Amino acid sequence: MKMKIKAIAVNTFKESARNKMFYLLVFFGILFALSSKLISFLTLGDAMKVLKDTGLAAINFFCILIAIFTGINLVYKEIEKKTVFNILSKPVSRDQFIIGKFLGLALTMLTALAAMAGIFFLFVLVNGGGFDLMILLYFFMLFLELLVIVALSLLFSSFTTPILSFIFTVSLYLIGHIMWTFNEFKMILRDPFWKYFTQVLYYLLPNLDKFNIKNEVVLNTPLSPWTILFSVLYALAYIPALLAVTILIFRKRDFQ
Amino acid sequence: MIPGRLLAAGCLAGLLLTAGMQNRYDATFDYFAERGTFVALPSGKALKVLSFGYSNLAADLLFIWSIQFYSTPYLTNRFDFLEKVYDTITDITPQYKEPYIIGSLIMVYEARDIPMALRLLDKGSRHNPDEWFFDHDAGYYCYKFLKDFTKAEFYYNRAAAKPDAPTFIKRLGAHMVYLHDDPKVAYQMWLDIYNHARDTLEKDAAFNHLYQIKAQNDLALLKERIGMFRNRFRRWPDHLSELLGAGLLPSLPSDFAGSDYLYDPEQGTVSAARVFRWKRH
Amino acid sequence: MKALEIRDLKKTFRSNFLLKKFPVLKGIQLNVEKGEIYGFLGPNGAGKTTTIKCIMGLLFPDQGEILVEGQPAASLAARRRIGFLPENPYFYDYLNARELLFFSASLFNLPAADVRDRVAALIHQVGLSGHEELKLRKFSKGMIQRLGLAQALIHNPDLLILDEPFSGLDPIGRKDLRTLILSLREQGKTIFFSSHILQDMEMMVDRVGIILKGSISREGKLSELISRSTQYYEIICSHISEKELAKIQAHFACRDGQYSLTLPSDADINMAVESIIHNNGRIVAVNPVKMTLEDIFFNEMRPHRPATTGDSR
Repeated sequence: MKMKIKAIAVNTFKESARNKMFYLLVFFGILFALSSKLISFLTLGDAMKVLKDTGLAAINFFCILIAIFTGINLVYKEIEKKTVFNILSKPVSRDQFIIGKFLGLALTMLTALAAMAGIFFLFVLVNGGGFDLMILLYFFMLFLELLVIVALSLLFSSFTTPILSFIFTVSLYLIGHIMWTFNEFKMILRDPFWKYFTQVLYYLLPNLDKFNIKNEVVLNTPLSPWTILFSVLYALAYIPALLAVTILIFRKRDFQ
Repeated sequence: MIPGRLLAAGCLAGLLLTAGMQNRYDATFDYFAERGTFVALPSGKALKVLSFGYSNLAADLLFIWSIQFYSTPYLTNRFDFLEKVYDTITDITPQYKEPYIIGSLIMVYEARDIPMALRLLDKGSRHNPDEWFFDHDAGYYCYKFLKDFTKAEFYYNRAAAKPDAPTFIKRLGAHMVYLHDDPKVAYQMWLDIYNHARDTLEKDAAFNHLYQIKAQNDLALLKERIGMFRNRFRRWPDHLSELLGAGLLPSLPSDFAGSDYLYDPEQGTVSAARVFRWKRH
Repeated sequence: MKALEIRDLKKTFRSNFLLKKFPVLKGIQLNVEKGEIYGFLGPNGAGKTTTIKCIMGLLFPDQGEILVEGQPAASLAARRRIGFLPENPYFYDYLNARELLFFSASLFNLPAADVRDRVAALIHQVGLSGHEELKLRKFSKGMIQRLGLAQALIHNPDLLILDEPFSGLDPIGRKDLRTLILSLREQGKTIFFSSHILQDMEMMVDRVGIILKGSISREGKLSELISRSTQYYEIICSHISEKELAKIQAHFACRDGQYSLTLPSDADINMAVESIIHNNGRIVAVNPVKMTLEDIFFNEMRPHRPATTGDSR
């Protein structure tokens, strides 16, 4: 049983490693991260802060792009090219297919992130930023966020066209980063129905700013281990929930 | 079918025409006249929302932009939104210390609005309760520009109470009540900070103060000696070095950065090469 | 126990949220016995691929039952016994043949040691020896088809389901495939394949099911369907005057100096032959003309008479 999931996962990883777009995005991610040095020249005072900020933002941005594009592209291509028939006509359940795909995508993201993070980490070290372990923590949190994004793009591409999947995933990404305003927004509302509605949305939609510890990492402000633990648990609960929904939808799907 | 050559010629003609028109338009347009900046700058909170998790970068970019913008002297009315800009930056990242310091420097030496600078420094102190630098700068401005020694004393004492505060701040607090405008003490104080600076930020800030004080003193001295020259020789000196020849000065002072002061022989005026040091060393 | 049994299979497609439905399968009924080759025949758009997808669990029937050796078709147990080759197969083109077969094998939980031997044997069996390391994007259509068959056989299934396996093959490819399928039957396997090319079918199948517009029009052993009718007899002769010939039979055809007579049954043959010989004619041939599969097929089609024979999907 596990062997099948592993086979699908490895195959998914190999396929994304073929994708030229993937390499292009990794390359540009690294390029922009390194160009943070140039921007740091423009500031007064602590240049390392700007260097770290820009570098982390660049890696963040490009990894999100990779997550969204790879996630959508891979499933779409399988269905479009009908290679999915080769798998589902064998004794492989739809659950195993989805889980295998997710793990393959997770592996892909890990590789991309490791490449960018490794280079940037050395870059900071070389530029006098020291051996900053907090950056590694940041990348770990980013990885969790990427897994959520990947699960989302997998969910949408299991039942809609790539364009719509892209729009939905990007929208949820953006909303996910302003979820903290929902709490305040709720205060303004008077009508109990809308209050409740906002509350439900707040719990249902992914709260991605949890994984955003850029501020704490760059300014070295204290970070409570409980916050980190809580964010990790959040991811560990939310991602399986997304996968479960994906499997439920995928089980009903007809392949014309 | 339009022949290829005609198409190429047409393209070239079109491009030349547009370039010419653009040129004429630019000639009539006064680049340095009043430009409306920041019709609407979002507040710190709004910018935080709009940057979708990249708020640090947004604050950094705004800060970098502001440094470039406020160091461009020929733009008029550029200080209209000064406080708003720095409020936005510091709202997004209150623990980022640079904007408070640089912002207050601009407000004091460029916009010449001391209360604005004090508001910013107070904010910095609020959000970074362990940092003595903000209160120390605020005290200095009260002492130097507002001549409000009571307030200066209050700030210096508050600064001295912070952890890691250098010992001389306590002395300054005590002196404030009794001191008049004595540039020597101020100079000494900043030189002390300059020599013992913990990081580039402190060094930069100290440098700017020292530059200002030295320039003030040197320019006053030069002006006096130039006046004496004119009285004696009925003309302005052609070069500052003529003052040496006339025995009015033992040597020519240079500014704190080591460059010469600028002299205009037509008017007989001296000025500092740079008002402010904007580049990092 | 039958290899494959379909009872009253119905499937309707809805076109994109517009509640307009159009039924594709209207109650399919068919049986495939173990060890036989079953030809699933029908024009384009009749519902062949839809039926096959229902068998493979790629589409979910609205109604009806599909049993593979007694197991429901949508279950994992059923799929373990089936080797499937889809229509116009496409495989991951960055893999080579060996890698693809290994990947297919990994989806069956086959023990690793067996797989190596099996892959080598299959590559040889389908005639791809020497091309194992070639990337699939360089494969020709015929090679892909062979590989498809190999991956369908990787787990040694008892039942093979092939959707239009002959499409796009050149005559050599078709012959090879025919040989292969026949040899698989020798091994005791059951083969169910769909096609709309009648000649291939006629040469191989034991049983035929004709599908038209979503339902089975005719099903039965090929031998029975054909032998049921010897349509007519044809006598070809020469060296006889047309006047004499007209006395034997009013209608005849003439070609290249030879005459061809059509007689409804064998009763009149002897009489006709004797008459021709009596008139100094020469008998060239006496042929019983049986119905071909083509005739049977077009017979079935006649009441429906579709407007075009093109693909209506």
